[in-house]
Amino acid sequence: MSQFVALPKGLTEETFAKAIQEYRALLGEDRVRTDPASLQSYTKIMIADSEEHHTPSAAMYPTTLAEIQAIVRIANKYKTPLWTVSTGKNMGYGSAAPASRGQIVLDLKTMKKILHVDEELGYCLVEPGVTYYDLQEHFRKNKLNLWVDVPAPSAMASPVGNTSDRGVGYTPYGEHFLFSCGMEVVLPNGDAIRTGTGGLENGTSWQSYKWGYGPYVDGLFTQSNLGIITKLGVWLMKGPPPGGYFPFLMKFPRVEMLADIIRTLMPLRLNQIIPNACIVVNAGWEAAGYFTYDEHGRGTNRESFYKKKDSLPPEVFQQIMDKYGCGAWNFYAALYGSPEQVALNWKYVSGAFKQKFGKDVRIFTEKEAQGDPIFEYRRQLMMGGSTLQEFGLYNWRGGGGSMWFAPVAAARPSECDKQMKLATDILNKYGFDYVAEFIVGWRDMHHIIDLLYDRTQEEEMTRAHRCFDELLSTFTKNGWGTYRTNTAFMGKVAASYGPEMMRIHRALKQALDPNNILSPGKSGIDLDASVA
Amino acid sequence: MIDQGRRRFFTSMFSAGAAVAAAWAGGGPVAAAAEEAAETTALGINGLCLYVPSLGEAGEFVAAMSRNAPGRWAAHPLPGALTERYFAARSLYEGARGKANTFVGVVDPATFAVVHEAIVDAGGSFHYVTEARDRVTFSVQV
Repeated sequence: MSQFVALPKGLTEETFAKAIQEYRALLGEDRVRTDPASLQSYTKIMIADSEEHHTPSAAMYPTTLAEIQAIVRIANKYKTPLWTVSTGKNMGYGSAAPASRGQIVLDLKTMKKILHVDEELGYCLVEPGVTYYDLQEHFRKNKLNLWVDVPAPSAMASPVGNTSDRGVGYTPYGEHFLFSCGMEVVLPNGDAIRTGTGGLENGTSWQSYKWGYGPYVDGLFTQSNLGIITKLGVWLMKGPPPGGYFPFLMKFPRVEMLADIIRTLMPLRLNQIIPNACIVVNAGWEAAGYFTYDEHGRGTNRESFYKKKDSLPPEVFQQIMDKYGCGAWNFYAALYGSPEQVALNWKYVSGAFKQKFGKDVRIFTEKEAQGDPIFEYRRQLMMGGSTLQEFGLYNWRGGGGSMWFAPVAAARPSECDKQMKLATDILNKYGFDYVAEFIVGWRDMHHIIDLLYDRTQEEEMTRAHRCFDELLSTFTKNGWGTYRTNTAFMGKVAASYGPEMMRIHRALKQALDPNNILSPGKSGIDLDASVA
Repeated sequence: MIDQGRRRFFTSMFSAGAAVAAAWAGGGPVAAAAEEAAETTALGINGLCLYVPSLGEAGEFVAAMSRNAPGRWAAHPLPGALTERYFAARSLYEGARGKANTFVGVVDPATFAVVHEAIVDAGGSFHYVTEARDRVTFSVQV
């Protein structure tokens, strides 16, 4: 019987044991773990796939750049694959588990230095283990009037992890990779580089000027396995003056109104009257967020309204909307600036929606929404606050299963409407509910759908897997790409972008990482896998 | 993952936790079966049990735990929003290290999602986790 929980593909136990011995000589016993208890957390996945496919062989915890460089050299020597995570909070996308069995998790949560915060120009330089919450605490402690844009699990996710997976948030700086500036990266051969202007001796603009000189390479290290990001520059917003942050909510009663909502909001988004990555949330998501306890202490969830296991019929959705007072669509956005600017812009925004929808829109500002926990959650997100409220989704259906299906649409009314209808039909066909939000980007919509299912039921897990597969196939046929996906479907998503793109990714991998040691399988890039 | 003796011990505690939760949900026969299946142990427990208020009350958890796994038990509710639960779980776990010898919990799936990360972020690991549709029981190494 093996002394290890799993082995890297193609490695004998003897070779792996030697590699582990060498890693331990470098980091010590405590920071190279192969025992089952230490590895358990990395197999805690929420996607519809077996843990067996994603069980790591070991986990390592470096703390310095030099250690990572030395680790990479050992990995090349023994050909041990390294699956890098920052804080490992990629829930619904595969969590911290590797794409394939036997990889070593290189866990960077122990690299927690906030290296620099520049209040004057609004940027910071952080290591991978720094969380959004750590940054906010730093701002508070040092009385800095700075905001960092956050993704939904902000209290425990990291800017390095989220940016490198091209995650998004909800303030005007919502497109995280766009608002990053300068990286330090360990390459697969162990060399370290600094991108942008970071290579200049005595350079002063590493975190203030993105492009440097010559080909811009930062993108090569996002959603990729071509390097390990060890430092990242992040641009920060200056907090607006008192009265200069104005979050609001508009509720719309009918599902068919989506196209008109997009038609009304996009001009305001494009002319920057609404400057933030605002959100249009459906009733399913909204209701799941309102998970509460009744007077007997029992939770209210989907089952409280509908005992059957198939998808919720429209009339039950209506009951849920009536119970929580939420709309079929719920539009959250915010205005930022001086109080005078905000007041003026509010006239444009509220005027445009009232003109279009009349009595069919209900409008809530902070004043009207006092005490509403979901408004508060959205208010926090749109100002870069710390919240974990989104996890309430996991009580809605129960059983711990969640897979984010995340196609992108051009921000056109008809396109969003078509996506919504198609996704609803496919989800319902498999007995699941449409639980979704549109995050409004610069000219695109991130259509974020949470495929919630019961992971404790094998049949339901199989069904969820098949449902996700059909969603992906159908959306691809319609010309819609997926911006991000989970570890079970990375190959399929990569293939959807065409063989030429797969070949260039593979050529880059071959050139930079011929031993295929960094995160094989990430974004479908794996030298051991065949290319059609 | 863990030796059989220790697994039996934790199984008994989970049965106790499940019994409380099932009783709360009106599952009398389930509760009775769980208690019947439970085994006692003489490990000298100094334990802490996290729970969410919807699944039971502190007194019930302490009583059930003490009955099935005799020792000193404290039950801590995780009230409030999920963000607060994350920080509370983390703080309770950090506080328990070096003091308690047993750290278990009975929570709902959403709470478990944040509690799991809180424990891991504090450097902890799990003996094991048992998930059901509406509740999760777990045991953490301390």
